Amino acid sequence: MGYVNRRNRTIAGVFLLPTVAVLFLTTIYPMLYALYLSFRNYDLAKPFIPRIFVGLANFQEVLTSGPFMHSMWITFKLMAVTLTFQFVIGVGLALLVTQRLPGMAAIRTLLLIPMMISPVIVGLVWLFIYFPELGYLNYFIGLIGINPIPWITSTQWALTAIAIADIWQWTPFVMMGTAAALQSLSPEPYEAALIDGNSRIDVFLYVTLPQLKPVLISLLFLRAIDAFKIYDIIFVLTKGGPGDATETIALYIYRQSFTFWRMGVGAAASFVSLIIISVLITLFFKSMQKSAVAR
Amino acid sequence: MASVSLTNVVKAFGAFKVVHGVDLDITDGEFVVLLGPSGCGKTTTLRMVAGLEDVSGGEICIAGEVINDRPPKDRKIAMVFQNYALYPHMTVRQNMEFALKPQKLSKAEVDAKIAGVAGMLGLDALLQRKPAQLSGGQRQRVAMARAMVRTPEVFLFDEPLSNLDAKLRTQVRMEIAKLHKQLGTTVIYVTHDQVEAMTLADKIVIMKDGYIEQIGSPEEVFAHPKNLFVATFIGSPSMNLFRMTVERGDKGPVLSSAAFTIAAPVDKSGKLTPGQAVTLGIRPSDVRLARAGEPGAIEARVEVVEYLGVEALVDLRVGTQEFIAQIPAGERPAPDETVKVVFNQAGLHLFDSESGQAL
Amino acid sequence: MGIWNKSLLAASFVAMMCGSALAQDKPFEGVQLKMLGIGDTSVTRLAKITSEFEEQTGAKVQIDMLPYPGLIDKIIIEASSDNPTYQLLWVDSPWVGMLGEAGALQDLTDYAKRDAAEIGLDDIIPVQLQENSWQGALLAFPASGMIWHVNYRQDLFDNADEKAAFKAKYSYDLAPPSTWQQFHDIAEFFTRKKGDKLAGKVLEQDFYGNAESYSRVQGAITHDYFPIMRGFGGDYWDPATGLCAMTGEPHVKAAEFMKSLVPFNPPDYLGLMWDIQSGYMERGETALSGYWSVRTVRLTNPEEAKLPSLGKAGFSGGPTVDGKPQPTYTGALSFAINAKVSDQEKEAAWAFIKWGTSEKIMRRLADEGWGISQFRKSILSDPALQEKYPYYKVLLDTQANARRRIFHPFYADVEENFGVELSKYMAGETATAQEALNNACTAVNSRLSMFPVEQRLRWINDAPVTVLQK
Ligand SMILES: Nc1ncnc2c1ncn2[C@@H]1O[C@H](COP(=O)(O)OP(=O)(O)OP(=O)(O)O)[C@@H](O)[C@H]1O
Ligand SMILES: [Mg+2]
Repeated sequence: MGYVNRRNRTIAGVFLLPTVAVLFLTTIYPMLYALYLSFRNYDLAKPFIPRIFVGLANFQEVLTSGPFMHSMWITFKLMAVTLTFQFVIGVGLALLVTQRLPGMAAIRTLLLIPMMISPVIVGLVWLFIYFPELGYLNYFIGLIGINPIPWITSTQWALTAIAIADIWQWTPFVMMGTAAALQSLSPEPYEAALIDGNSRIDVFLYVTLPQLKPVLISLLFLRAIDAFKIYDIIFVLTKGGPGDATETIALYIYRQSFTFWRMGVGAAASFVSLIIISVLITLFFKSMQKSAVAR
Repeated sequence: MASVSLTNVVKAFGAFKVVHGVDLDITDGEFVVLLGPSGCGKTTTLRMVAGLEDVSGGEICIAGEVINDRPPKDRKIAMVFQNYALYPHMTVRQNMEFALKPQKLSKAEVDAKIAGVAGMLGLDALLQRKPAQLSGGQRQRVAMARAMVRTPEVFLFDEPLSNLDAKLRTQVRMEIAKLHKQLGTTVIYVTHDQVEAMTLADKIVIMKDGYIEQIGSPEEVFAHPKNLFVATFIGSPSMNLFRMTVERGDKGPVLSSAAFTIAAPVDKSGKLTPGQAVTLGIRPSDVRLARAGEPGAIEARVEVVEYLGVEALVDLRVGTQEFIAQIPAGERPAPDETVKVVFNQAGLHLFDSESGQAL
Repeated sequence: MGIWNKSLLAASFVAMMCGSALAQDKPFEGVQLKMLGIGDTSVTRLAKITSEFEEQTGAKVQIDMLPYPGLIDKIIIEASSDNPTYQLLWVDSPWVGMLGEAGALQDLTDYAKRDAAEIGLDDIIPVQLQENSWQGALLAFPASGMIWHVNYRQDLFDNADEKAAFKAKYSYDLAPPSTWQQFHDIAEFFTRKKGDKLAGKVLEQDFYGNAESYSRVQGAITHDYFPIMRGFGGDYWDPATGLCAMTGEPHVKAAEFMKSLVPFNPPDYLGLMWDIQSGYMERGETALSGYWSVRTVRLTNPEEAKLPSLGKAGFSGGPTVDGKPQPTYTGALSFAINAKVSDQEKEAAWAFIKWGTSEKIMRRLADEGWGISQFRKSILSDPALQEKYPYYKVLLDTQANARRRIFHPFYADVEENFGVELSKYMAGETATAQEALNNACTAVNSRLSMFPVEQRLRWINDAPVTVLQK
């Protein structure tokens, strides 16, 4: 390593210091504390229970727990559905709003609104929409003669209802990222394809999509992590119910920690899910990279 | 192969007119260069031919058919872009295959076409590379290959060499000339580089501000510029201009200025009237050092001497008038010397100072 | 601070308040009290007049009102904090064991004994004091006394056509249900579709025979299930082991009974809880709805509910299997003092509790249309108030034969596990009631079984509240 590189490293270190300090206080310390908790029997509501070291018992309980596995399944199911729709609709909208048509700029801004609302508010908005008796949605489908549907209070519909709310909120994110990428694409290959006479579908599949791929993968990465953590909307709309139909991992962890007050089990569940999501995401992106290299 | 003709073609972006009634006939197999300074409407004209811009007025015909409203793909043209416009994630082969895809050819036909073009352009070894793994010159050749593989009737080039360094530019320029000779396809080629235009063109179209200033062979536009703009635009270093007044001399009209007086060219004398303001143009290569005692020599002071190897450019001054002489390097004077120069009679160009038109 | 110091301080406060009234007629000048409370009948009306308390005592009271779901979480976090924000805590009586075993609540026994006359200790229904005790210590003071009872559409029950039709179908007279079978019949009978007739009028929307809570949110379903289970003769714990015993026949029958009511409930039954459930009764959209009496007063107040304008509410005690009264569960919504606050704040908080639960205030609210579900005999037995609030008589009668609700330190586990499991069963995700109850009990017991049996038995032992011992 040359002198300049070494020197740059020192400077970089100095600049990183504040960031590292903040990171330590806000992320690493709580993580370490959670790790400490995960090996303990720690009941916040029952100080009379000794807060002893219990080894891997919490982890064992989580890994053998039916409700945990169930929440894992719900989380991935929800993730698969929401991400699919968010990307299909988001990319479609991006293609639409990047057309040079009158009014597109305004439409684009409007479409971004859901993303800018806090998830709790989004939950409340959809609560009004889904509300069984007085909700807008049932009112409108009532106008066309459909009987009210218990959107968030039936096990058949609740997960769908949450998926719709989440898709509504996060499709704009995909749209915005994709639209930005689309606009940075050079127009000339498209003109070349226009002259060569390639069909629109071919142009999209073979020219646009491959060029969008790095951006789409990044967006997918961000969305996947977010989807794994989905909490606010569910908390407002169903609190995991009815039954356990919408109980995702975050809800499971919340329930262990703040309903049963078993902070140790909650912490262990957090770590187990952290590991699972890290492994899955790493595997997924490894395979994406491989396929990208193979092309 | 096909002929192309533009009749009174107009282009306006909103209220802003950028091409004003262009008329141009290109015969089958001709190599036509659109030449002009930046912003004069060359690209716009080319893109109208390609169908990438709507035509605001007039008619464009290819092979005798009006194609104003035809989509680009139905115009039997191919275009090579300034930035190559290659598909960055596709290999050279895939770039060509994609261009052929709409023709729905069999695999064998596609392979044959690609092999043919790749051979012609020396791309055989590069077929599996992606654009990012190619040099600028190679990318340019791929862009041409992708245009050629479709065997169009008209090639459109928009400043294809402007992203290359000088040496490579010369080399690719020659390749283009060679290919045109081989294929004989009609070419419309846009550039603002007059060397490219002079070397490649069968016919040069000189444009300015959306108007055609002159159409002609390289020799014509060089030797007989129709106006002051063409005269100064073509040729490097550009033509020397002197503001003169026509006066009656002993042996016919003379041109006179504060600095010097010379006889008017004999063939133009009929068009001159005394008192008329004219501009005398003379290319630096038509200025030479006077032999001892040569009549009509003009005394000038040497300001700067630029040595170019075979030749030298000498900046001269007579009174307030500056001009350049291009002379054999061996004859070059030293700065601050006073020299005597004469103008080659055949190289004298006269323009009406008011209209700028050649006399 | 030792017990001596404490009583000394208390004595000096008493002295200050009584003896030196002239010198300082506002004993808590400058004291700031905050209450973590619920946004419901036991608090909302009082919150509007706390300025009167400030005028009398100088203590400023701020009440933060939250919805029931999640409130206990806030209270537990508050209780586990070393720097208390709230001096006063609103407490639902099932929480007493959780908060009591954690040492979060101030023992009010001495205060109550000291001020027995002032608070009218004899006037309070004894089980209401028992309900607020943990291991004999009075940890909270009732602000509202509750029972689970049946609300019904009196106007429909009185309708001649409906009565005749009911009799024709079920061969007995339409009357407030005293057995579960009758409850079921009535719910079935009054379930009508849009376009059907109800009491001679064509319905513009579906009408539901019944509305119970089936939601899992904050264990809402258990708040109806447990009283119904009691009505079937069941109870929470095994007195021999101190473990969950809710897998027996009455428990299964009660769960199956609730499920049998689903067809008569609104389509969003799995979302029914608290105000969403009572809303159906308040809007007059259901014939029959059993719930805790906390919101019952609204059914008599046309400013709060539609029902009094379009019909009339009737009230009766919870049914049983055979119609003979079973000791029903009672409940209390109470005010408690955070154990971690200063002695002066405790005195001020106690003064507020005394004021806010006094007969005077209770009567005044009742006179203003806010007859809060009561714990005072004097009010419940007042004929004028019984006339105005017919449910007061039901309250008074049933409290005489009432028993304590769950008060276990692991109440949160019981509420949540039964909430989820019962809700799943009602939704059809779990095949049988037995399986659901087994799951819930197993989950609860998995935590309890780690403790020695003596401890478990202590947790279910209802030691008589000492404040009532002479
Ligand atoms: N899309 C457009 N909207 C408005 N004006 C345009 C547009 N495209 C080109 N112009 C204008 O039209 C005129 C001609 O542009 P054009 O690109 O044809 O010039 P050019 O001769 O190709 O110049 P260069 O040598 O710099 O490429 C310019 O003044 C340019 O600003
Ligand atoms: Mg251009």
